[in-house]
Amino acid sequence: MDKSLSALTAFHITGERLAGELDDVGRLDLRPALFGAYRDLSKLRHDFPLVLVNGDAGGGFVRSLSGVVDEILSDIAPHGIAGERLRQHVLKLEQEARSLAAGGEARSLGEIWDDAGRRLTAKTDAAALPQLEESLAQAREGLRFDGETVACDGELPVKFVTHAWTLDKRQRTQRLRDKLDDLTLTLSNILHTDVDNVEEAQGAEKLKRSMGKALEDEFDFDAMSRLLRTAPTGETLPEARRRRLNSVLTVFKSQRFLPPAENSRKRGRRKEPYGFVFDSCEEVLEAIQKRRPEMAKLVKAVAIAELEVANRYDESKHDQFFSHFSHHHLHVEDFALFPPYLVRLHGDSAVAAERTALWQVLSSGLPIKVLVQYDDVLGGDMLGPERLTANIKGPQLAAMALGLGNVFVVQTSSAYLFRLRDSIATGLASDGPALFSLFSGAPPGNAAASNNSPNVAPYLKAAAATESRAFPGYVHDPEAGGDWASRFHLETNSQPDADWPMRDFHYQDAGLQRNATETAFTFIDFVACDRRYANRFARVPQSSWHDGMIPVKEFLDLDAESAASKVPYIWMIDERDALCRAIVEDSLVSAARQCRDMWHSLQELAGINNSHAQALLAGEREIWQKEKEQELEALRGQLEAAAAAPAAPSAAPVAETPGAAAVETPSAAPAEVPDEAVEAGPVEEPYIETPRCTTCNECTELNDRMFAYNDEMQAYILDPDAGSYRQMVEAAEACQVAIIHPGKPRNSTETGLSDLEARAADFN
Amino acid sequence: MTMDAAAPHCLLGMFDEDYTLDDYKGAEPRWCVGCGDSAILAAVQRLCRDEQLAPEKTVFVSGIGCSSRFPHYMHTYGFHGLHGRALPVAEGIKLQRPDLHVFVITGDGDCCSIGTAHWIHAIRYNMDMTVLVLDNGIYGLTKNQASPTSPLGLKSNTTPQGTVLEPINPISVTLGIRNASFVAQAVDWIPELVHDIVDAAFQHKGLSFVRVLQRCPEYLDGRYDAWVKDPGKMLLLNHENGIQTSPALASVYKNHEIHDPADRNRAREIASTSDPIPVGVLYRNQSIPCYENPRGPDRLYTPDVVKGVLEKELDRFTIQAVGGGGD
Ligand SMILES: Cc1ncc(C[n+]2csc(CCOP(=O)(O)OP(=O)(O)O)c2C)c(N)n1
Ligand code: SF4
Ligand code: SF4
Ligand SMILES: [Mg+2]
Repeated sequence: MDKSLSALTAFHITGERLAGELDDVGRLDLRPALFGAYRDLSKLRHDFPLVLVNGDAGGGFVRSLSGVVDEILSDIAPHGIAGERLRQHVLKLEQEARSLAAGGEARSLGEIWDDAGRRLTAKTDAAALPQLEESLAQAREGLRFDGETVACDGELPVKFVTHAWTLDKRQRTQRLRDKLDDLTLTLSNILHTDVDNVEEAQGAEKLKRSMGKALEDEFDFDAMSRLLRTAPTGETLPEARRRRLNSVLTVFKSQRFLPPAENSRKRGRRKEPYGFVFDSCEEVLEAIQKRRPEMAKLVKAVAIAELEVANRYDESKHDQFFSHFSHHHLHVEDFALFPPYLVRLHGDSAVAAERTALWQVLSSGLPIKVLVQYDDVLGGDMLGPERLTANIKGPQLAAMALGLGNVFVVQTSSAYLFRLRDSIATGLASDGPALFSLFSGAPPGNAAASNNSPNVAPYLKAAAATESRAFPGYVHDPEAGGDWASRFHLETNSQPDADWPMRDFHYQDAGLQRNATETAFTFIDFVACDRRYANRFARVPQSSWHDGMIPVKEFLDLDAESAASKVPYIWMIDERDALCRAIVEDSLVSAARQCRDMWHSLQELAGINNSHAQALLAGEREIWQKEKEQELEALRGQLEAAAAAPAAPSAAPVAETPGAAAVETPSAAPAEVPDEAVEAGPVEEPYIETPRCTTCNECTELNDRMFAYNDEMQAYILDPDAGSYRQMVEAAEACQVAIIHPGKPRNSTETGLSDLEARAADFN
Repeated sequence: MTMDAAAPHCLLGMFDEDYTLDDYKGAEPRWCVGCGDSAILAAVQRLCRDEQLAPEKTVFVSGIGCSSRFPHYMHTYGFHGLHGRALPVAEGIKLQRPDLHVFVITGDGDCCSIGTAHWIHAIRYNMDMTVLVLDNGIYGLTKNQASPTSPLGLKSNTTPQGTVLEPINPISVTLGIRNASFVAQAVDWIPELVHDIVDAAFQHKGLSFVRVLQRCPEYLDGRYDAWVKDPGKMLLLNHENGIQTSPALASVYKNHEIHDPADRNRAREIASTSDPIPVGVLYRNQSIPCYENPRGPDRLYTPDVVKGVLEKELDRFTIQAVGGGGD
């Protein structure tokens, strides 16, 4: 090994910087080279800021600023050059709004929009102002909703998920409220059916009073009363039923799962409604445990009410059941009636502290939605001295939750959150537990930004975590189907088929020539954004570059032997965007391998490079090839035989599909003619085309022993001998839809048969 | 019954009865032998059985006419109302009891003559109910007077020289009303389609208007003979969003058109053809809102609340005795 390589290798293996020029990348403030294009995010049209849409304005619960602007433009700006000025103006406004929104304060889109407009007009000179103002006014008109804007920062995951949860809760609450209201209304109506007073109301006195003095003499109220009393009045409500209905209504009124209706009377006297958001799994479990008896009461009341409304409450069957029903009989499905629970945990320490309770929540089958926000994927001690293998904490929880099978799991980083909005909503709306494992990309509050390279915005950091497979994105929807193919999706990652996504990369060389190359974004590139691991990298000055240095991606693909003579590097840039190469310590390379292994198992779940499938495919291919060879062999034999016997027919073409049966020689016998082709002969037995019968009574009136209705109320011939052939023929003539076929006479002694047979011919 | 196995909401299913056709048969029909109404009655009874509608949750409302005797022949709730007034009665029922399945049976005279105003507005309200117009083109019950759908030139008791006005087409008129949400046509002599079309109508949320061409052998004998005898003169409308003819029926009635019920303009064209006679769902639109909503947005109008509100309102007009307190 030459000397210059050995210094590099020494760093790679031991972390020792033998050559004085191998600088720690932390001190140099280097960033992964692919970040070069993203210095100023406010100039970049990306998903952020997002708008958490107020109410139900259509277009989803969250929108992106650029999406909103695009929609407005497609509404107001004509295609082509005519709309160009308007487009330019509004896009400028968008840029202004984007940098305002990055300010961090919670503000509504409307406010920011107006502010951005003012800033823009202030910058514009008087001549161009009228046109700009016109454009802005038009655009403002097109903005038909409002909502809080959120930037990609440490508060995003909580705000985003809580907002979506609130909407879902509102819908479920409304559903429950509607249900209770409908039942209350119907039950109250049943209670108020005033049959008890019918007796009095029908009396002559009451009738007289209701008529008024003027007409008193015109009527005989006694007669009227007698007449009315002949009508059935129905029964009074039995006492037991009245009590049952009243107790159901009481439960409806006193339940605490819904906030009181806006304008309900008697407000204030009620107990506080229950809350559904928690910051700890233990607390949520405890709360549910405490509420169970009340839940059972409400479930029972609803069930009784539904039976009552459907008129199906049968005291002999149901009384006993309901008297024993308690919270021990609550089913998981019963929870669907109630608002869902939300638990918000922050960081790996919270997860660690609550491990047992969290596990209980996720395996409970109950609609408890857990948000775990990570600000730190790697942790400071990923490569701790006592560790034999690297420990990438962030993605572990979600991977374990996948193993539970019935948990709805969404994992992603903030950068891709908007794209997964529908999955988040589906997870919230599902009837079982859900885990949202989200990486914010923001500096962790406690570690005071120590692990963040100052130049990396949270959005970039978040995107890098997912891009590098350190925190891969995926969705697992247990209700989407019975197999992994329908339940598990990995598409939110770039190039999900590859180990690492490949990116085009453009740079200028020393001679100011433009160059393009492709480079992978690996786990190691992500670690390179983290100052805590800066000492695991060393910048190699261009003068010391060596052929033995190869990109990390290539290095990872080598076997141990070939790798021994190589040193892996990644491309980085400094604050002036000058490119450099940083070589990487071996401990990080092992961590990258581990990350790649975890990624491979996710890929397999998603059906990418599935090892079982590949093994199976290889086996099948072998069998298929063998079969084909045999077929070919057989054909060759046939051809040779044919050549020997000149009169034989030519060989049939080879079947091309794999697994096709061996070629058959065509049978010499002509195919049999199918039955349907034969014209049906004249009818012998009488019959009716029953399904076409219109129940018109013609035939049954004629002879109801001969013709009868079946269970569908359509006629058939009950007994052809129960009447004369004449009746049969007359029925056929009377049948309006001509579906009675009289057949042949059954009794040759009947008179006038030849005439009847002639008449029957029309219907046979 | 095992106590721990069943969640209470399963109980509803546990005790469901299995209704047979007999459960829907009421009084013995008194229609003339050969009357098309019988076919429609049998098809509707089969539908109730197939949908397992609880008889006590189902109500048939009618006006006056031969056809309007229908509720008597159903063993469900029924209301045999005033001539032309079936629809407003049905609306009242639906408002107060949205849980009931409401069917309206009306005749061409009942609906398109004396009841026209109610018909138009019922379509506008689009309340969730199934309306069947049994259109025999004549006043049957009152023994042979021309109706608004009688064919031009028909001689009847009221038109001894023959009618001089063009008939109106109930489905064209209905399609002309903005809020129409379901419009279909059936003929009594293909009972399978009466069943399927009324089923589609029943499934539709909103007012479904079904005109059933009905033969009256008593006063308009032979009116539809040409179509009854020649299946080729019928046009069956098929679509996945409408109805789909069974293979057995399709082998008899070979004249088909794939018609998307969302296409209102085509529906209008089809409606205006009388030969061949179109049968099927002409128009369907699920997005039109229904009028019935027994309470205000947030307010639960139980009888107690209603009473309270009324009393408060009446108190405003109560005359206070002079000097009896107050300011
Ligand atoms: C207010 C009022 N006007 C007139 C009548 C008389 N009347 C009874 S039935 C009927 C016509 C019914 O025709 P249609 O609705 O077509 O029913 P059909 O008998 O043909 O089935 C008339 C005019 C009445 N019963 N009430
Ligand atoms: S005459 Fe024809 S349509 Fe009428 S009941 Fe008999 S078979 Fe049915
Ligand atoms: S008069 Fe006509 S409509 Fe009335 S029952 Fe008789 S056949 Fe039917
Ligand atoms: Mg009529």
